[in-house]
Amino acid sequence: MEVVDVRPILAPFVSFLCAGLVFGFGRSIFWRRFFTFLAAFIKMALVLSMLPGTLQGVVYVYQFVEFTPGIGIGFRADAYGMFFSLVSSTLWVFTTIYAIGYMQGDRDRVRFFGFFALCVSTTVGVAFAENLLTFFLFYETLTICTYPLVVHAETREALRAGRIYLTYTLIGGGFALVGAVMTLNAAGTLTFAAPGILGLESGVGTLAVIFLCLIIGFGVKAAVMPLHGWLPIAMVAPTPVSALLHAVAVVKVGAFGVTRVIYNVFGVELLQQLGFATPLALLAGFTIVAASTIALTQDHLKRRLAYSTISQLSYIVLGAALLTPLAATAAVLHIANQAFAKITMFFVVGAITRTTGKKYVSEIDGIGARMPWSMAAFTIASLSFVGVPLTAGFITKWYLALGALEADAWWFVLVLIASSLLNAGYFFPILHRAYFRPAKEPWPPLEPGRHFETPKTLLIPIVICAAYVLLLGVTAEVPGMPGSVAQVAVESFFAPRGVGP
Amino acid sequence: MTGPWAEALPWVIVLPLVGAALTPAVAVRHPRVAGFWAWGVLLVTAVLASGLVAELLARGPFSYELGGWAASYGIELRFDHFSAWVLPLAVLFVVIVPFSWRYLDHVMPDERRPPFYALLLLNAGGMIGFCVTGDLFNLFVFTEVVSLSSYALVAVGGRGLAAFAALKYLFIGAVSSLLMLFATAQLFVLTGSLNMADVSLGLGEIGSGTAVMVAFAAFAVSFMVKAAMFPVHVWLPDAHAIAPSPVSAVLSGMVVKVGIVGMLRIYQIYFGAEVLELGAFNLALVWLGAVSIVMGAFFAIFQDDIKLMLAYSTISNIGYIVLGLGLASPYAVIGASVHVFNHALIKATLFLAAGSIIHQTGFRTLSDLRGIARTMPQTSAAMAIGAVSIVGLPPTAGFVCKWYIALGAFEANQAPFGFALVFGALFIFIYYIRMLNAFYFQKPVHDEVAQASETPWSMRGPVVLLASLCLILGVLGGIPLNFVEPAVLDLLPFWGQ
Repeated sequence: MEVVDVRPILAPFVSFLCAGLVFGFGRSIFWRRFFTFLAAFIKMALVLSMLPGTLQGVVYVYQFVEFTPGIGIGFRADAYGMFFSLVSSTLWVFTTIYAIGYMQGDRDRVRFFGFFALCVSTTVGVAFAENLLTFFLFYETLTICTYPLVVHAETREALRAGRIYLTYTLIGGGFALVGAVMTLNAAGTLTFAAPGILGLESGVGTLAVIFLCLIIGFGVKAAVMPLHGWLPIAMVAPTPVSALLHAVAVVKVGAFGVTRVIYNVFGVELLQQLGFATPLALLAGFTIVAASTIALTQDHLKRRLAYSTISQLSYIVLGAALLTPLAATAAVLHIANQAFAKITMFFVVGAITRTTGKKYVSEIDGIGARMPWSMAAFTIASLSFVGVPLTAGFITKWYLALGALEADAWWFVLVLIASSLLNAGYFFPILHRAYFRPAKEPWPPLEPGRHFETPKTLLIPIVICAAYVLLLGVTAEVPGMPGSVAQVAVESFFAPRGVGP
Repeated sequence: MTGPWAEALPWVIVLPLVGAALTPAVAVRHPRVAGFWAWGVLLVTAVLASGLVAELLARGPFSYELGGWAASYGIELRFDHFSAWVLPLAVLFVVIVPFSWRYLDHVMPDERRPPFYALLLLNAGGMIGFCVTGDLFNLFVFTEVVSLSSYALVAVGGRGLAAFAALKYLFIGAVSSLLMLFATAQLFVLTGSLNMADVSLGLGEIGSGTAVMVAFAAFAVSFMVKAAMFPVHVWLPDAHAIAPSPVSAVLSGMVVKVGIVGMLRIYQIYFGAEVLELGAFNLALVWLGAVSIVMGAFFAIFQDDIKLMLAYSTISNIGYIVLGLGLASPYAVIGASVHVFNHALIKATLFLAAGSIIHQTGFRTLSDLRGIARTMPQTSAAMAIGAVSIVGLPPTAGFVCKWYIALGAFEANQAPFGFALVFGALFIFIYYIRMLNAFYFQKPVHDEVAQASETPWSMRGPVVLLASLCLILGVLGGIPLNFVEPAVLDLLPFWGQ
């Protein structure tokens, strides 16, 4: 059931407006914080208010303007879009708290928070995009808006990272544009639909080119190997940026795009006939193992997390490419599961750097005693990535393994097991050093007047996100939690042709 | 049946031309009055132009016979969908002129203002006349009005190089005009008429032939030179970079479009007669367009002077338009026609913003202008929006044309050119990202830059307005389509692939 409603456009607009206000009046710290928080909460409220409807199968739509005859800039909050926007708008609130603490005393905070809000605006725009054109508009805007954040430090290294980031993402964007144009030519429409808009009548050759273009286009941001080169380099950005953008917004937008292409542009049926998804699944399987292996060798904390991100993102791609309902459930759920666990880790690493100045794995011996709360959160997130039951990561792995068996591709289960072991291989040494090695030199003492290991603005988001990882792990089937939204989304992907989501 | 606004048709030409003639007289005591006078004249012209467009939208194309003499004896003015270009033309002039009031302080002494504004009004009148005339000879006359005033406007800056650039422009422009005159004469001899509609009918009776084709070729080459397409672009970079910035905006944004609009007019004449097989010509246009895109970007990469960079990007953008025309599929031609306007808007934004920065700091190279965004945030933001827009990244006006032309390329089964367009545009971004990096993310090297102040509002207002339009038209990309689509769809059946 479709209902015309203004909320799907209001949600991105709120953070857009916030960005404008921050640029305009952001010199005052009070107003900057006020606008950012107000917008973050309004946005979360807007998204949450649509949740009951979504669970009952209501899809909120809003057509904004006509761009090309027949193709407008349109917004449509279906279950999958709702799922993604829930994740990003929730995390915006926490990241904002964290960023305020982390960026204290840093330079150019007006620019930072302004573009930060713009990025969130475009992320939700991507989530609610009704068609491939709208999707592309927001996808490219996101690229541009993240550039000032990546080069925030303005050092030579940051500028180089920014250049590489733009090269990868803009060339990817070019492919996505070509793919979108070819889709319009072949299908006559760009509106996402379940189960898909393309058909065999366009010819296998054309379909192959379209698939390749769109997957390369969105795969760049999803960091599927060999398109991942920008991600570890972009880690030079401030930690809140790495956390929100390179664990949630930017990379998830890519993964979200890949799933949209598979389920809402091509459709399960067509892809099963064409068999294009199998090479993608193999590539994703390769990325999972290869990126984890590289992560083992990284001593820089953020770079280790970056390679872990690359590996984890391919879970989503793999889940989508297996083309079975259970695997799709894993793909959708992992958008949230990976986001909360990885943002916890980035927050902790940022807190360690801000509190002690340490950036390398080899430097954090004994930090568990100095920063117990943070390291507890880090432990929970690590367990989630390893896939220990009662954490979010277990749910993903469970569904993904079932989905692989459902698709008669049992060897992917081996990939998952290997990945779990590798995850343990690069996260547990961090825990070992933190808890069981004596500190090389005494840690700097608490600043006078502080009760906690690190400023509260840093610690609160860490604790909440870690708690959420556990919550996601135990409430997968509770109505109103992300799991239930994912179910609705997956049902629509596999609905028979002609039945709308 | 025509409405009251149709009577205004001759006035949109007469006003700026007469206004130009009167400028020295009006400003005889106070030279600075010339700027306000020119602005007032253009404002009235813009109001009239919007009335004409309203009339066009309400009742379709209409004609006006000068002096009541019927066409083929008298002179006919015709306002069709391509003529709607006069509205954005007039509006852009209205925005650009206030910018020049303060800008000219550094460029010329006060007593040279009246001739400057007279030339600017002549230029505007010439372009408007060019768009609305229904007569081949007047098409030539208005082309010359535009060209001659442009040569003079390039030289008006008065420095040594300006004269040289203007002279180069003049020589090449004169050859182009000569070709146009030759072609016009040829058609007159063949058909016995200069009225476009009559010429078209006449050509239909004669049928195809060498003489008809030679005339077409002469027109085509002549307009390509005017549009500064590669490889006949050599006059453009110096002329556009050296002219005062408001003039650069006019030249780069609008005057080169005379070549494109002229080409469309010639298409109208020949298509009506169905004597033209465009296959090979289209193919040449497509290739030249693609090469223009790449070469324009390639040359621009090596420039350090911001205005030269912008000038070279004009060549790239004319490449888009020509590529779109050559692809000859509905979407491609629509995209090309929309870009005629969108590029004017974007280029005006960029040149005025660049002009503001040069005006405030006295520097014009990237390496000198590092860190300018800290002291001139609004102007730099406008420059950034313009840069993103000219590369064709969403959500800006530049994306609209890229979308349509790419769509048209695949529609015409010319996939390689679709790829060339999309990735050629990224190539252009290489030099704009250098610019944004220098402005925003590097430390100032000069005190003048570190202590620069924002421009006065008469300069900043136009820049901010144009930049906002770049963004607005990126989202509301459908608006220009109202004018372009009917005109293009009329022509398309004859375009041929």
